[in-house]
Amino acid sequence: MTTSILGLFQQPEPAADAMDGLKEAGFELGTFDVLTGTPYPEGAFGEHVPQHRLFRFPAFGAIIGFTLSIFLTAVTQLAYPLVTGGKPILSIFAMLIIMYEMTMLAGVIATVIGIIFESRLPNLKPGVYDTRITEGWIGVVITFDDDAKVSEAESVLNKAGALEIKHA
Amino acid sequence: MASEAVAHESEHHAPPPKVDADVVARELIATTTNASVRFKAIAWTLGILGVIGIVALILKWVNDGDDSTKWGYVATIVSFLLAVCGGAPMVAMAPVMAKANWVRPVTRLAALFSFGSVVTIIMLIPLVALLPPLVTEGARRRSIWFEAPDYAPHIWSVVGLLLLALTGIMLFYSAAIPDFASMRDHATGWRQRLGKRLARGWVGTDVQWRTLRMRIGMFGTFYFLILVFVTFLISTDYGQSVIPGSRDAIYPMSLTISSFQGGVAALVIALYFARKWMGLEKFVHLDAFWSLSRLLFALTLLWVYFFYSSFIVFWYGRSANDIATLDLLIRGPMIYAFIAGAILIWFVPWWILIWNRVRRGTSAMVVGSFIILIGLLLDRARYFVSAWSVPQDQIHQKWLKVVPETYFPNIYDILIMVGAISLAAVIIMLMTRVIPVLSVWQVQEFNLLSKPIRYVRGHATLVAKPD
Amino acid sequence: MQQRRELDQVYTNRKLLNGQLDTPKWWAPTVTILGIGVVIGLFVIATMINKGLGVTGLGRPVYWGLFITTFVFWVGISHAGIMISAILRLTQAEWRRPVTRAAELLTVFSLLTALVFPLIHAGRPWRIAYWILPYDVARGIYPNIRSPLIMDPVAISTYLTGSTLFLYVALLPDLGNLRDRTTGWKNAMYTVLALGWRGNPRQWKMQTVGGILLSALMLPIFVSVHSIVSWDFAVASAVEGWHSTIFAPYFVIGAVHSGVSAVVTMMALMRWLWGWDDFIRPEHFDALARLLIVVATGWLGFTFLELIFALYGQDAPEIALREMQILTWPWNMLFIIFLLTGYLIPVPMWLFKRVRTNIALMFWTSILVNIGMWLERFLIIVPGLARRTPFVYTWEAYRPSAVEWTILIWSFAWVTLLMLLFSRFFPLVPLFEQKESQVFTDDVMIGRAKVPAIVREAE
Repeated sequence: MTTSILGLFQQPEPAADAMDGLKEAGFELGTFDVLTGTPYPEGAFGEHVPQHRLFRFPAFGAIIGFTLSIFLTAVTQLAYPLVTGGKPILSIFAMLIIMYEMTMLAGVIATVIGIIFESRLPNLKPGVYDTRITEGWIGVVITFDDDAKVSEAESVLNKAGALEIKHA
Repeated sequence: MASEAVAHESEHHAPPPKVDADVVARELIATTTNASVRFKAIAWTLGILGVIGIVALILKWVNDGDDSTKWGYVATIVSFLLAVCGGAPMVAMAPVMAKANWVRPVTRLAALFSFGSVVTIIMLIPLVALLPPLVTEGARRRSIWFEAPDYAPHIWSVVGLLLLALTGIMLFYSAAIPDFASMRDHATGWRQRLGKRLARGWVGTDVQWRTLRMRIGMFGTFYFLILVFVTFLISTDYGQSVIPGSRDAIYPMSLTISSFQGGVAALVIALYFARKWMGLEKFVHLDAFWSLSRLLFALTLLWVYFFYSSFIVFWYGRSANDIATLDLLIRGPMIYAFIAGAILIWFVPWWILIWNRVRRGTSAMVVGSFIILIGLLLDRARYFVSAWSVPQDQIHQKWLKVVPETYFPNIYDILIMVGAISLAAVIIMLMTRVIPVLSVWQVQEFNLLSKPIRYVRGHATLVAKPD
Repeated sequence: MQQRRELDQVYTNRKLLNGQLDTPKWWAPTVTILGIGVVIGLFVIATMINKGLGVTGLGRPVYWGLFITTFVFWVGISHAGIMISAILRLTQAEWRRPVTRAAELLTVFSLLTALVFPLIHAGRPWRIAYWILPYDVARGIYPNIRSPLIMDPVAISTYLTGSTLFLYVALLPDLGNLRDRTTGWKNAMYTVLALGWRGNPRQWKMQTVGGILLSALMLPIFVSVHSIVSWDFAVASAVEGWHSTIFAPYFVIGAVHSGVSAVVTMMALMRWLWGWDDFIRPEHFDALARLLIVVATGWLGFTFLELIFALYGQDAPEIALREMQILTWPWNMLFIIFLLTGYLIPVPMWLFKRVRTNIALMFWTSILVNIGMWLERFLIIVPGLARRTPFVYTWEAYRPSAVEWTILIWSFAWVTLLMLLFSRFFPLVPLFEQKESQVFTDDVMIGRAKVPAIVREAE
């Protein structure tokens, strides 16, 4: 059964100590994480720097949007040919504007989906948490597959000076 | 908060190792004297090309001095040099405005471009002589001068350009005084004497520093305003007003924007070679390239925005004026120059600069900048050659009735263009023999204001932002 | 100037969530009054739709009047959000932090309001579906994508969708915060909205990288929107004063001018109403005013170019139009007010630091700017149509009716009401940005001087 424990700290320094301690104690990268109420400079806790593929999302979205926009502008104008203002049926310079907007729109939507996906949200089972984290406390959370290492993790957290340890 | 300074690991974007202020002064001043063989060879070649260009200009005047339709390429080079040599110094005033630290080391190089404006003025001389007065045979042509005297465009364009060069040089000088003082104290020979004369008793009191900053801000603001004004004059008097019927309110702004673009591109190239060949790696942070690349990227997109804003209005408008203008400038004989120009000034750099990886390096940036400059030249040629190809007896018409044949460059035109660019480049190169290519005091200030720190377990840079 | 102070996170939470956790006393009465105003406005709109556009002052040749002016005005205001939030994010300006949320919000609500105007201006709003929605109709015709009137809704809906999503993504950490501070149904609501936010490095990294990426994507949209609005006018070569190539950037920079001013107005109100003196400080007004000086001066340059190139052609109708717009009563009075309020009064005042850091003065000058900018749009749109020309059979001047004025006033009440309703449930100042600012700023000692410094992450 998967369980997780959360150690709470008030200062970044002991939280970083706890992270170091967990690394030394042989916990696998990715099984422990730090929770903060505000962004800290990357690597401040010696944490595992997450890899992401966010930049692929807008590119993908833009391609879809662009394709749709060609359909909307070119194909439909050819299907309903009606000359207005003496302009050609396929007026590329007018079409470009609509194509541009649709490409950008799809790019933005895909980016937002990407941000939410890469944040691993929505997270239906958030696990152990403490509301004081959004009041400036720093949480170090460890996830276990078996309960054997719980006490070891607890001792690392205690040694680093955790003010409180929560279980879930 | 932990802010203990540590030696930074050799990360890609790590700041250059901390260099002591006296080392900065000594090494940068030494760069003025130890020119490499390569530097000398390039300078000589460019110098000779420059002289050939001037001779070609005189010969062209002798041969074609009576036919304005053959001077389009000289007009092109005027607007090109105005863009590059006029646009680059804008970076020199940026720190005062935006308080950006990365820009401090490169402001000197940017300001040196002002000296290239001398060539712009030389190239303008025949054009001033060829530009017809506002009223010919009782007809007044469209211009921004409305009821002004006949020779207003001639006089004001010359005055404007002179003023621009002068303000640029003043901008350079006002920021160079502390460096002249360093030369007075550390250089030898004529450089020391020059430093003593130009430092004007600089010792670095609080009052002197405050005056210095105020002067940079003041000349920087003037410079910007004059640059916009001169670009406005050149684009209307030597461009739009010699095309019958053309009325494009955005064109002066398009030229201003692309002049910043050309200026930044030229600065990137100059910075790259200066850094590489003069061994300035420890003074010029890669961050400077990165920041310049973002600027260049934005300006590249602005080019296409301004172009499209103007084009779409003509394309929809379809009045006789609109059609004639598009026929002459885009659809007409210059169509290939236009397409090539647009690809090179916008499309290719856009796709090069969009990649983070490219923008963090230097090589692809330099290639992109070269491409932008070629595109800029083609784009200017497309406009100014078309404009000047209209015979002068037709420029008073309400709109262009017949699109004239375009004029292709002959050997003189090519020599003039190559010569003008070479001459401007060699002048800038020679200036680096007079004063360090990077501003000594600004490199020192850069080092003072940014330092690598440990943030708990992570690495970061602490950048101070004084008022 | 250094006004940064150490604020702990508990205090930040308590102060910045005071709109959601304990409602201020003035909130309910204000919302009630605004609500009544909004209902009256809606009633007037309904009456107009029932009776037809005859109840307005519109008529040939002035078929675009107050409604279209106000439409352009609100689209202009909407440019505040992305301008502030995207450009300042990209340039890593530290002072953006308290401003971004309010600015993005202003974008969303003013766009929503702007959309109402062309809709009701159509007289029979439901018929707009015929020319906007791409669905197959028995008539065998299809929306004309060559018309700027199609490009307009496409651009605006793109901008509206994009900025709403942007607003939501940047709201996630604060929703998590609210979830932690509330109980009952509110807690349930915030729990759903926060999507299970925890605040681990991956999520924070996405906030930072995603914020920058979205900013970079939204900026080109923001520029395109007002450009396309300007082409509604500029591509029409038949109306003097409209057919100018400068319109697109001219409209954009004018929009930034009015939008940033509107943000100043809003910031001052936020500081006064919610007592956020610790967060919205004079230094922020100072920075905004410096930005405004640059923007306003650029805008004045464009105004100058627009004018000089109108006369450049030396065509009689164009000159006659400018004479009317600038020299003939009552247009000349409007023109003078426009110049004074749009530039000549506020900008010289902002040159003084004492004014820039005086919140009351900033509030009033920013309102002046928006009076001027509304008049600018009016003076662009109406005189070109109202000038007397030989082939127009009515030479009556355009006089906006009480219905039009009421709807104009309604739009302000509506935007304010939306803002206040939003503020009841969501924080107007991004809390996490505020806290991040505490983490990412420090003082360094250079000699004896204490200099404010910013922590920049190693790339």
